[in-house]
Amino acid sequence: MIPTTTTARTPGLRAALRWEIVKLAAQARSRALLAAALILPVVVVAVVNGQEQPPSDTIYGRLVHLSGYAMPLLMLAFAAQWVLPLLAAVVAGDIFASEDQHGTWKTLLTRSVSRTHVFWAKTLTAIGYNLLVLAVFAASTIAAGLLIIGTQPLTGLSGQTIAPAHALWLIIAAWATAIAPTIGFTALALLLSIRTRNAALGIAAPVVLGFTMQLLGSVGGLDLTRKFLLTTPFESWHGMFDQHPFTGPLATGLAVSAGWTLTCLAAAYVSLRRRDITEG
Amino acid sequence: MPPMITRTLAVIAVGAAITATAAAGHPEITRAGLERALAPTFANLYVQQSHLLGIPGITTATIGAGASCDRGGPAVADTGAGPNWICMMSWTDDHGRHQDGKFEVTVKTDATYVAGGPSKIVGLATITDTHGHDVPNPVFEFDGVIDAGS
Repeated sequence: MIPTTTTARTPGLRAALRWEIVKLAAQARSRALLAAALILPVVVVAVVNGQEQPPSDTIYGRLVHLSGYAMPLLMLAFAAQWVLPLLAAVVAGDIFASEDQHGTWKTLLTRSVSRTHVFWAKTLTAIGYNLLVLAVFAASTIAAGLLIIGTQPLTGLSGQTIAPAHALWLIIAAWATAIAPTIGFTALALLLSIRTRNAALGIAAPVVLGFTMQLLGSVGGLDLTRKFLLTTPFESWHGMFDQHPFTGPLATGLAVSAGWTLTCLAAAYVSLRRRDITEG
Repeated sequence: MPPMITRTLAVIAVGAAITATAAAGHPEITRAGLERALAPTFANLYVQQSHLLGIPGITTATIGAGASCDRGGPAVADTGAGPNWICMMSWTDDHGRHQDGKFEVTVKTDATYVAGGPSKIVGLATITDTHGHDVPNPVFEFDGVIDAGS
């Protein structure tokens, strides 16, 4: 029987995807990052809880001793500064460049997979892994906050008191708003991984760019400019904690993250397709 | 295209985008927006404080808080982020007396703010609750958010 085009294409991507996952799972770095995302929040929560003075320079820092629901919000606001871009870049910034480093592009492409298959396999692996890391990081932070500090009612950003059951849903939703910009930073790291062919640059450059955007976003008078920055969607959860919740920044943040993701992925794809790999 | 030209073009494009959006943008943080956010937030926290102190019969309606804000004196436009916002708050306190208090407000570019109340009127950083515990005074210093879209 002659296989149709679709069934002939699917095994190529599937095989490529399976190999990328196997390669990633075998990396010490990817396992270490996952373990760090699980353990570090617990340590940070315990240390912050033990301190006499709450870290009041970051939003919700003032309330960390009063409610276990405030801690995950403080952590989210803090992590958005550089931890989340770094978590997004550690695997994504390396996944294409490591083939350059090891000189394995030719070996990879002589298998029965196309460049398109390899591109999507690596992209999906990086995005999937990063979402897993984000989920583990969020779950560990929330669990540590609730177990170490407790389930006291949370004070909202209009001074209103939020009941514990509702507060739990709100903080999960707040962490969920980090998904879109995390995918955006993943796409940025993938692009840099392909363009620079250098794993160190692929990992460091998104973090530096994230810092630069954060800095630009803190300059007054750039209200429209900061809407287009990939770091601004990380702040879009604030409106959900208002007495009359507003979702304008959330919608803008989703659109901006999607724009960054599509632009970076398209540029990365074109760059990989056009590359001359015969040089090895 | 040689990498040098691609990079130069990218830098020029980013520069142009920042300049264009900076010129086309208008301040989203306004005096009205801050006043709308600050007064109800203070009222809610004042109710929370009265619960901690065990003072009955205080609601946001009895407080009737109103804010009037200004940034950096008459020479500075009352818009945008900055540490130099001053808000005069007027409300009815737990003894039914009219109060006017000056709040120092730092507004950040992400439309959140930190407001510090006058300790002579709202109390010190720590207060003693009905159980005799020292707890943070909710109205001494607090975070809030401005709905910049409204």
